[in-house]
Formats: sequence, structure tokens, C-alpha cells
Amino acid sequence: MNGTVAHQMIAADMLKLRRHRPTMSTAVLLSAGIAIVYFAFIEARHHGNLAGPQALSDGATLMGIYFGAFATILIGAEAGTTDLASGVFRDLVATGRSRTALFLVRIPAAITIALSLSLSGFAVSVAAAYAFHGSAPAPTPGLALEFAAWVALATVAQATLAVGIASLTGSRPVTLIAVIGWNTVATGLLYLASFLGPVRDLVLLIALGDLFPGQQVGTHAHPGSSIALNNFKLPMPAVTAVLVILGWAVLPAIAGAWRTRTRDA
Amino acid sequence: MTTAPPIIETRGLTKRFGSRTAVSDINLTVPAGCAFGFLGHNGAGKTTLIRMLVSLTQPSAGIVKVNGWSLADHRERALARVGAIVEEPRFHAHLTGRQNLRVVAAARGPRAGRRIEPALQRAGLSDRGDDRVGTYSQGMRQRLGIARCLLADPMLVILDEPMNGLDPGGILELRGLIAGLVAEGRTVFVSSHLLDEIEKTCHAVAVIDKGRLLAQGPISQLIGDTHTRYELSCDQPQAALSLLAGHPAVAQASQAPGGLLVTLADPRAAGTVTTLLIQAGITVTGFTPIRTTLADRFLGLASRVGGNK
Repeated sequence: MNGTVAHQMIAADMLKLRRHRPTMSTAVLLSAGIAIVYFAFIEARHHGNLAGPQALSDGATLMGIYFGAFATILIGAEAGTTDLASGVFRDLVATGRSRTALFLVRIPAAITIALSLSLSGFAVSVAAAYAFHGSAPAPTPGLALEFAAWVALATVAQATLAVGIASLTGSRPVTLIAVIGWNTVATGLLYLASFLGPVRDLVLLIALGDLFPGQQVGTHAHPGSSIALNNFKLPMPAVTAVLVILGWAVLPAIAGAWRTRTRDA
Repeated sequence: MTTAPPIIETRGLTKRFGSRTAVSDINLTVPAGCAFGFLGHNGAGKTTLIRMLVSLTQPSAGIVKVNGWSLADHRERALARVGAIVEEPRFHAHLTGRQNLRVVAAARGPRAGRRIEPALQRAGLSDRGDDRVGTYSQGMRQRLGIARCLLADPMLVILDEPMNGLDPGGILELRGLIAGLVAEGRTVFVSSHLLDEIEKTCHAVAVIDKGRLLAQGPISQLIGDTHTRYELSCDQPQAALSLLAGHPAVAQASQAPGGLLVTLADPRAAGTVTTLLIQAGITVTGFTPIRTTLADRFLGLASRVGGNK
């Protein structure tokens, strides 16, 4: 497969995602929509005294771990299953194009769409951080970039994970329940299970949490606010965190590629 | 028969699902440049074999060659110029017809992208190409499926039960389309249980039953029609019978409801027989050839009828 074909196939996969209105509207709502609602609420509660850097931290957590991540997983699940669900997979296989290629193009397509959503959601928090910092210092552009890079990393890892799992199971509901369930309920429980020690480092969001910019550790909240965003930060070597994140992206992708190659179309 | 290498060739092709054998030891040869019918009852193994031909499922045993390329070793080359509709054509309902073609064209390569407009035009969908496929009728989906096949500039078009769900107008259109593709030198492989349609559309057929290939070859050869059987109606059947019984141009003559059943010794002797009867003062009111149809032959071969229920 040459570069032109790869580019066209990725564009075609992006087209399928972009034009799927239910998925896209839900994803937009979960990313930029939620960010707008969140910062509007915080601003209303704190009357122009929203801490600037805290807004970036909240925005990154919202996009990388919570609602933005749900949108990413939704996009990844759709990318991994749309050909199978529509029945078009068999027509793509019948072109003679390698099944591995059919699988691989789903990943950049999902990542591109998911990144555009999570970063636009994060852009809302950047805007809020500068516009509503009040008496708190405005965040530096460098810090904003650090958080944006972390959001991008979290999005890429979770989009790849979702595409892999979706291609493995062939089911969007199963993928959504499994990945979101793991990232919320299971990760939350494991994070609190201190008796597990370094085993917890193997959990994706905990590894992502270790690379989270700034000093925020564990659950944090705006003073006087009932909102608490947990960024699952546990200290671990950065190399370990990177390897764990890589593992969570690559292993499901390998499994998804294997299933795409072997399943009856 | 054509001397060109076969466009499809299978040897010992077998597919098992657990202990059930869906397709067993099929040696199929499809000549290039013709319309080829693939006949069988529902569940005979037609779709399973087609799925193996386009690599949707792997054979349990045997080999498949498409356009001279082994599917196992050169899948991409073998299928590069194959267009197929397996079972019913499926699409992304939320995309337009044109966008659906773009999705498959992307996998086929840049040249396929340039064939989108001509394919839509040929399928008669140019003016509906920007409508979402969810709004298409079944006939339009079938036509869009054909347009998708044409993106490959196919040497081989595989259509699995293409007449299903089409109204008479749609069937007529499809028949014309198949004839047009064959006239361009392409091969059209059509699976169906609509024997009459296959007889009208195809030059050669293969018959499959319970996963086994029962017969294959040109339709005329398979039917084995010698064009020698006639139904004779006249005003004096007894006299006609006596006259014809011993005549050298007649192999056999017998009484039948409404007249006589005459089998000629030579297909060119029909004129001799009628002249003989007229000269004997017998008024011939009808002398109709009895055709053996593909349906007669198929029903004789396949197991669901013919005592093997």
C-alpha cells in the first residue's frame, strides 16, 4: 500500500466518522459542549475568580480522563466497528486490499477526529483560563502547551485502545461498556487499592496520570466547589508510565489487527 | 468453447463448519468472457463458494485461482479486477451513494476514484448520487452495488442472487446490464435459483447441490436438447401413427393426449414428416418442438426433487 492509497483510505474512514451524525453530535457534546458547561458553571460560582492554571488542569482532566475521553472512546469504537456493522467490511475485503491495511487506517482516522474534539474542548479551558483568571495569575503559554500535549497523548492512547478493542470484539456496545467501565469504575477502585502497590502502575489512566503536568496529585477541587476531578496521579518512573501507555495502545491494536485478519467477512 | 484461460478455477475446494461440510471438493472452471450461471437450491453452498472466491472466508481445503492468480498467494492481484456483490449489497446508510463509492474506491486505489462518475452514470444513479443511501430503494441499492463493482474495471463480476427483490423492470434492466458487460469482454458469474432467468442470461452454468458440484458446461450441452422431439396434432392421429411408425425419418412415434409424440431420427427431418402427412391427406393442425429446459435438467440433477428429498 503506497502513501496515496493510505491517505485516501484514512480520508475515507474519517468521512465515515464525520458523517455519522449521532456519534459526532454526542462526541461534540461530550468534549467542547461539556467544557463550555463546566467552565460556565465554575465561572458562575466563582464570579471571575477562577484560578488560571487550575482551569487548564481541569480542562485537561475533563478531556483526557472524563467526558472528552468518553468522546474519544466513542469515536474509536465507531471507527473499529462501522464497516462490520454496516456490512461494508466484506466489500472492502473483496477489493483484495490487505485486511491489516483495512484495520490500520482506522487508527489515524479515529485519532484525527478524536484529537480535533478533545483539543477543541481543551481550547475552551484555555480560553476560560485566560479570560476568567481574575486575581489569580494567568497561566503561561508553556504550561498551556504542556497540558495540551498531555490531552493529545491521552486521546491518542485511548483512541487506539478503543479501535483495537472494537475491532477485536466487533461490537460497539461491548467496546463502550468495557473501555469506559474499565477507565471509570475499575480504574477508580484500583487507584484507591493502595495494597496493590506498584501493580497499579499498569493501569492506563494511572500511567497517564503520572505524566499529568503540574503538581496536582490525586483528587483536587476548586475551593468552595463540590466538583472534584481525579487525575489518578501516582508517582512512578516516567519510563514506566510511557511503556504502560504504549502497551495499552499497542497490545489491543495487535489484537484488533489479528481479529480483522482472521474473522469471516 | 473459448481457448482463453479460465477466469475462475477451483480444485478440491472444500469448506467445513465444524462437522458440517458446506462445500465439498469442488472443481469449477469458469471460462473468461461469458455469463456463467451458478445454480443451486437455497442452502446448496452457492454463497459459501462465492465467499471463498473473494476471500471473505478461508477454504478448509483446496485452491482457488482467479484470473490465473492463486488467491492464497496473490490475493491482491487476484481480486484487483474483480467486482462482487455477495448476498445483498450493503452500504453505509448515513453516507450518500457517491460517498459510499469513494470509500471502496479508496481501498482500490486512485484509478478507481476516477471511475466513480462513469459507474454512477452507468448504473443510472448520477442524479441520486448525493442522496443518502438510507433513502434508496432496494433496486437502487442493487444498482449502486453494480456501480461499486465497476470501480474495479472488472474482468470478473460476481453477482450473488442479483434478481432477489427486483421487480420485472429491474430484472430486465439487470439482464441488459449483464449482456452489456459480457459484450465488453468481461465475465459475469451469477448465482441464482431462478432457472428461467439464468437460461435467458447465461451461456454456461454449474449446478451445485448439498455442497457438491453436479454438472458444469455450456447450457446447450448440459440440457442435451437434440431438437428432435415434437408434438403433433392432426385430424387422423391413428393414420398418422401408422404412416410415421415405420418411416426412416422418424425414430419413434407414440400416442399422447391431444395427438402424437414424434421423435425424429434427424433434427432436419421436420419438413419431411409434415410433407409426408400432408401428401397422405392428413390435415396437420400443429407440429410443435418440445424443448428441454434448464429447469428440466436442473430438477433432474438436484436432490430436493427427483426422489432424494
